Amino acid sequence: MRFNEKELISLSRQPSEKAAELGMRGPKKGDVLKKRLVKLVVNFLFYFRTDEEEPIGALLLEQCRVEREDSLTFSIIFLDEAERKYQFECDSEEQCGEWIDSIIKASYEFMRKNLIFYRTEIHKLTGKDPLEQYGISDETRFQVSNGLQLKARETSSL
Amino acid sequence: MKIDEKVISYFESSNTPVDKQGYLYKKGEIKTSYQKRWFVLKGNLLFYKEKPADRDLIGVIVLEGCTVQLCESDEQFAFSLVWNEPGLRTYKFAAEDQESLEDWIKTLLSANHQYLALLLSDMERAYREALEGPSNEPTKTNPFIMPYFPISEAGRASTFPSLRSSSSQPTFASSSSGAGHSLGPGFRVGPMADPVLQPSAAISAKPTLRKSPKLWSKKATNAVNTQPSSTFFGDFAGVILEPEDEFVKMHEEFGKEIKKLISHWATRGPDGQENLIDFS
Repeated sequence: MRFNEKELISLSRQPSEKAAELGMRGPKKGDVLKKRLVKLVVNFLFYFRTDEEEPIGALLLEQCRVEREDSLTFSIIFLDEAERKYQFECDSEEQCGEWIDSIIKASYEFMRKNLIFYRTEIHKLTGKDPLEQYGISDETRFQVSNGLQLKARETSSL
Repeated sequence: MKIDEKVISYFESSNTPVDKQGYLYKKGEIKTSYQKRWFVLKGNLLFYKEKPADRDLIGVIVLEGCTVQLCESDEQFAFSLVWNEPGLRTYKFAAEDQESLEDWIKTLLSANHQYLALLLSDMERAYREALEGPSNEPTKTNPFIMPYFPISEAGRASTFPSLRSSSSQPTFASSSSGAGHSLGPGFRVGPMADPVLQPSAAISAKPTLRKSPKLWSKKATNAVNTQPSSTFFGDFAGVILEPEDEFVKMHEEFGKEIKKLISHWATRGPDGQENLIDFS
């Protein structure tokens, strides 16, 4: 599959609030925990060998579940048939919780759903559509009737 | 750099909203001819394949850090995605007609993550204000000190689950106490403290911009400090954004850009060619 690699690498160099050295274990059986510089930029998780400029890889944080494994460890599980799981080990419980939070909130789909939720709620509370002032009420991407439920009906299994 | 292709393919085929899809002509990466491809836009990812029913993707373009521009081309209805940094590429496209051209440009301009993040942050604020009722005037005098929000449980949507959390849960974007962002009474909340917002290179390149120190805290260990490269906004680099006006300003800039494009199109003759010489 082709992708705009150079541009993605450039993206990985953008400043990020969430960048830290974590232990990372890949999805394959037998993959060992390795120290990686993990960096969250938009809805991508880049991981680098410490002190290397170019990331080893990039994970798209969409259609995944983030789970706490124990006090220091969280995992990202992709919802494909194989349910591929990447594990991350943090230095503290607090750090672990913060990463989980940040990764979930970074998902475009999550943000979109939140936006639709707020739009609907604000409309209920005020009688006004908050997107009208921007002239974007009709944009496909913010439609409530998109088959999206406002409650969290979608589960991890498809 | 590796990219997890399975994850990308899965996202494309999954039952997630399609923001736009249709045929476009794409200038080849090796051959320079334009090839007709079926494009599917989901979020900030532009997938392409030969035909709509194809299972295999030819490729994906991550729409971060680029601008969308009309381009001068032998092809009609041409536009391009441009990354302004040296060494980064430009993708050239041609739409089938004027309407398609305009719609693709408009949609692609607002497909990036930051646009949604800013809009979402605006909506969060509007929601809080709506919850507090019409009697409360948000203080606009100093935009960088948010109104004091006593966080009451009543009226709040469910707090953020810290254990099993699906990325598809539309909960109110406040963290549960386990996540280390405990919002007790007296805690100052503001859009810049919200982890949803990722600072763009445009903002980080301008140190005069007043920002909550929280945003730039050294909490993130081993943060990779590199020179901020050219801006995400590209053509909008001159816009210095302030938290409360960020989305509004950005949206206005988009509007101006689109108006510019429309007036540019208006100068063209009906056959799409610019009338450079007056033959009358």
